[in-house]
Amino acid sequence: MTTAHAEAANGTLPHEPERATAEGRNKVLAFWLFLGGEAVLFGTLFATFLALRNQTNDGPSANELFHLPLVAAATFILLVSSLTSVFAIQAMHRNNIAQLRNWLILTVLLGLGFLGLEIYEFSEYVRHEEFGMTTSAFSSAFYTLVGFHGAHVAFGIAWISLLIGQLSYKGLTVVTAPKIYVSAMYWHFIDVVWVFIFTVVYLLGKVG
Amino acid sequence: MTTDQQSKVNGVKHRHRTEGPQRHIVVFVFSIVLTLIAFAAVAAGGVNPTFTVVLLLIMAVLQVFLQMGFWMHLKDKGHLLPIIFMLGGFFIAGTCIIMALYWVWWD
Repeated sequence: MTTAHAEAANGTLPHEPERATAEGRNKVLAFWLFLGGEAVLFGTLFATFLALRNQTNDGPSANELFHLPLVAAATFILLVSSLTSVFAIQAMHRNNIAQLRNWLILTVLLGLGFLGLEIYEFSEYVRHEEFGMTTSAFSSAFYTLVGFHGAHVAFGIAWISLLIGQLSYKGLTVVTAPKIYVSAMYWHFIDVVWVFIFTVVYLLGKVG
Repeated sequence: MTTDQQSKVNGVKHRHRTEGPQRHIVVFVFSIVLTLIAFAAVAAGGVNPTFTVVLLLIMAVLQVFLQMGFWMHLKDKGHLLPIIFMLGGFFIAGTCIIMALYWVWWD
């Protein structure tokens, strides 16, 4: 811990510590391959949703169900959290561990806010709208697609929280930096998927 | 190893000195504006639905380009492989979506 902190303070840590070692560069590259695979995964879920979105089986339709203010709030929260994770990486590039930690904590808190809204939304649908997982093909496709994204957010929150913990006892090194960088890539990707979800699921659902 | 790191430091520092928070805030503001246009188009209603759908998709694609380009650094040098990976993923995803839509519209 002391060596790592001393390294950062002396400025001997490279400017882009995530790319300083071959292992770090490979980790970033491999993570892009993973994100390509994630794009395929979400693509299949979007395809299923688009095919089934009008099969309401006498249950609620998208137009009856969705409330845009809630979706707008969730969208705004996730967009801000993507920006805070950009700032986290910029703080990392300045070797500023305190700022890096603060931006990561803020990112996690915003992620929790988003997840809270989604849990509230789903529970409202199930309890008051009688819109459960097995109500219709539309409801199954909806919960699978949006729920899968929500699960990604939950995983990201747990992952970044663990990295914040690791940062406090291992410091910022060429080993920990690629992990933080890759988690920020993951977080941006979650936000990119959400852009398609709020467009295709919620807004197109309102248009009909 | 040391020399390799050193040259990396010099090479990269130069490029990144110019990168402040400003451009990311600009991307953020653009994202907000694109999102607002999309929500406003739907909330206003009354407009031709086909036009609204096309507008929504354009807003989404623009926002994704912005965020992947600037926030995920795909516009930077040395990102050829990541771009190939992502385009490959989007290509297969797009094929699945076209397949599903065509299937449903068949009859």
